Amino acid sequence: MANTETIPVTAQGTAKKRKRLSYSIWFILPAFILYTAFVIYPTLNSVNLSFTSWDGVSDEIRYIGFDNFVEMFRSERVYNALKNTLILSLSLVVLENIAALILAILVDQVRWFKSLFRSIFYFPVLLSGIVMGFVWAIIFNFNFGVISQLLDRIGLSDWKIDWLGNPNYALLAIIITTVWKGSGYYMIIYLAGLQGIPPELNEAAAIDGANRWQRFRHITFPLLASAMTVSVMLSMIGALKIFDQIAVMTDGGPGFATETLTYIVYKVGFGELRQGYGTALSLMLFVLILIVSLIQIKLLRKREVQM
Amino acid sequence: MTMHTKTMALSVISVMALSLILSACGNNNAGTTANSNGASSNEPANKEVKFSIGATGDPATKQAMADAVAAFTKANPNIKINDLSEGGSMAYLDWLKTKEAVGEFPDLIEMRDTQLFAEAGKIAELPQEWLDLVADAPTLNDKHYTAPIVGAFPHGIIYSKKAYEDAGVSAEPKTYDEFLAIQEKLKTSGITPLTFGGKDIFHWGFWINKFFMDDMLADDPNWNAKRTKGEVSFTDAGPMQAMTDFTELFTKGYVEQGWASTADNQTASMLVTGKAAQLFSGPWMFAQISQADPSFEFGWYPVPDRKGRIIVNGTNNLQGWAISTAANEDADKQAAITEFVKFFFSKEQYTKFVQAVNGIPTTKETITYEASPQMNRVLEVMNDPNTIKSMQINAFWGEAQMPTQWRNWFYKLAQEWLTKGDFSADYMKKADAEWDANVKANAAAK
Repeated sequence: MANTETIPVTAQGTAKKRKRLSYSIWFILPAFILYTAFVIYPTLNSVNLSFTSWDGVSDEIRYIGFDNFVEMFRSERVYNALKNTLILSLSLVVLENIAALILAILVDQVRWFKSLFRSIFYFPVLLSGIVMGFVWAIIFNFNFGVISQLLDRIGLSDWKIDWLGNPNYALLAIIITTVWKGSGYYMIIYLAGLQGIPPELNEAAAIDGANRWQRFRHITFPLLASAMTVSVMLSMIGALKIFDQIAVMTDGGPGFATETLTYIVYKVGFGELRQGYGTALSLMLFVLILIVSLIQIKLLRKREVQM
Repeated sequence: MTMHTKTMALSVISVMALSLILSACGNNNAGTTANSNGASSNEPANKEVKFSIGATGDPATKQAMADAVAAFTKANPNIKINDLSEGGSMAYLDWLKTKEAVGEFPDLIEMRDTQLFAEAGKIAELPQEWLDLVADAPTLNDKHYTAPIVGAFPHGIIYSKKAYEDAGVSAEPKTYDEFLAIQEKLKTSGITPLTFGGKDIFHWGFWINKFFMDDMLADDPNWNAKRTKGEVSFTDAGPMQAMTDFTELFTKGYVEQGWASTADNQTASMLVTGKAAQLFSGPWMFAQISQADPSFEFGWYPVPDRKGRIIVNGTNNLQGWAISTAANEDADKQAAITEFVKFFFSKEQYTKFVQAVNGIPTTKETITYEASPQMNRVLEVMNDPNTIKSMQINAFWGEAQMPTQWRNWFYKLAQEWLTKGDFSADYMKKADAEWDANVKANAAAK
């Protein structure tokens, strides 16, 4: 009955609409208040703080105009962090997505224990970044780590590398750890994309004589474009915000070798007692994420294929 | 009343009721503070009181502190202590600052960066009852903010007796050159001379401050103040010599290869497993080493400077127990915390604590405990009138205060030149520039 009921466009109908609207407002209001208090207000307030010299401890806050921004653009340390952020982000986006795509194809094609493999590859995603950072820091440890001990046992001690203590390898160690942790998540996105491709497309291509690579190149890959848009964008945002692994594994070091923008925001704001400057840096990070995300959406959407 | 009006009314009443409940919670809190302002009660109340503690240290110190808290709460069941003590690898200042930012600043704090938090109004002047317990509590602007938990620890070489014997080393060095000769002998004998917990930023302070004290601070305790005024520079002969000597420990291969990823708490293992012959650290490590291997034989000595002087970190400074301003304004909390501090410094409890951490007592009441041979050597050095007692660069206060944020930044700079292998005056120019920028930033924040 309810489905067939029609509401006449009368004064009574308008009243009902108003009633619905007022209900909606009451439902939305609690979430709106909380979101405003804990997200919107702090975000807007950070713009305000970025123009101050607040140390994060004192009760008094002084305005210093654009000094924080001027210092930021003149700082070698910030450019180094920006460079590290870009290296890390590009490497992670490429490696995580390649690894995720390979895992997704393997899991999709495997005949037995599909769920088991899916769970195994997804498992690292469930681990906390901090815990995983500690585990990998132990694995990479020069003196007591698994890799070093293995090399010692097979008589290749000279091949030992101080992964986290050498500026040439520390960033690589973080990339390895993050790819290991993150790929499973993106695998699920690709897997969903793969399972959405009608099998008859591949069957028809096979009948027409297309080999595996040709089927992947001309059917699977183009049809995964929307999954790739989401996956690449999420991995890029995740990489730009990477924090846990750096905090636990290298503390931004050795020296400043693995400091990223997110980490420098924390170090400057909390460790060096410059909350105002740290907030200015966080605004720059926000703008960077926004620009990169918009460019990505623009570029990746172009190659999406509608079925 | 229509259904719509009823619902509206119910919603409004619910929201108001919730607000009142929340306000009531707030008022209750505010009421406690208002009632207690300034009314310092000395009577140990029987009603339940809660306060939080924040402290740091090596595993032995943390355990000794946890034992003190457990013993106190057992004896005072009405007082609940929330032990927030730092447990990760984060620098203590970062941790404390983060706690402050999230509104969890401890009520009773082991304070290290006293001037910073005192000037920000986060810690209060100590109650007289606390000061009556300790022998020497230094002042900041004529006010007492901290009661020293233990006397300043001297750093020195903790060495494996077996490694020394194998390398043919039979006597302590009398000069820094003799110390370097020992390093060569150890290296030649096939053992890595020194382990170094470079993964933990605080560990850098041990060696760096040894050289800063030898070449700058012992002879000129006003060096920091002069640096702030621009009268001296890190590119001067003293600081350059200090950091050249420090760097050479690494470039000459005396320090283990994996120093950057060795944590401070792994150095004891490095020593007892024979991966390294020595460690430069303080007496708090003795317990850790003995626990790691009770049969391991080791000794301790201070490293002399080039002139043969023994200069150690030994002057009492502003570090110690502090009470937060908020806790001090709450009479019940203040009384409970004072009870804890009295308990902590009581003869029986404090003896256990200093014995566990191999500490130098700071109480007015004489404390004696059975010290290990290594600790006896420490006490011998500290009681020797020829020993020059100085302070770490970050421990000075007043005009001579180092900009707080400069310390860890400089340690990271040292990591950078060590990993790149290109130490030069340019790095020390950067140290000057950062110091000046930090001074300027701190002044702007006040």
